[in-house]
Amino acid sequence: MNNRLKVLRAERDWTQARLARELDVSRQTVNAIETGKYDPSLPLAFHIAAVFEQPIERIFTPEPADPDGH
Amino acid sequence: MNEEIKRPLLARLCGDMTESDRRNLNRANIWLALWLVSFAGSTFLIKGGGAAGSGPAGWIVAAMPIAVGLGAMLAYGRYLRQADELQRRIQLQALALGFGVAFFFGFGYRLLEKVGAPVADISDVSIVMTFFYFVGLWIGRKRYA
Repeated sequence: MNNRLKVLRAERDWTQARLARELDVSRQTVNAIETGKYDPSLPLAFHIAAVFEQPIERIFTPEPADPDGH
Repeated sequence: MNEEIKRPLLARLCGDMTESDRRNLNRANIWLALWLVSFAGSTFLIKGGGAAGSGPAGWIVAAMPIAVGLGAMLAYGRYLRQADELQRRIQLQALALGFGVAFFFGFGYRLLEKVGAPVADISDVSIVMTFFYFVGLWIGRKRYA
């Protein structure tokens, strides 16, 4: 899953630690989501959407489909 | 100064944590320390013999680490339930590695004993489990760093 977390965070000039505090998660979690190593749970994804005041689908988008269907 | 260097040693060892995770994990660690002390104390009293070595007193002394261990287990369970979701995933993957290796090592080694390997103690399986739990934690921290 792709996400715009880093862009949205940069727009607000927030550090990962600041966003982590807003979301009540660890900075490692924010970093792992931003780098695509970890997909957040649905409740956390909704929490992220609420913090950035954006619809969830404007923050998270599915990976483009593989043309080979894999 | 580099941000990584400025961070306290404990934060670098444990990774980043929320305040509630730190609190819950500290609680679990205190229970674990109590268990270590009670286990060492009970071992000393039982091996030392005397009144604590046999009879009802012996049973109470021997059961003490189990009771304290139950407290440690509950404290760790609470940490796990309330943990940050990535930390929970790392913990579960570490537990799966520790348990999985110990389970298959434990049963596999029984066969090795039959063909001549030194007889292992049940505590050896616990040591393997603990070792691979920490390996799992290390892998998780690296994977999601």
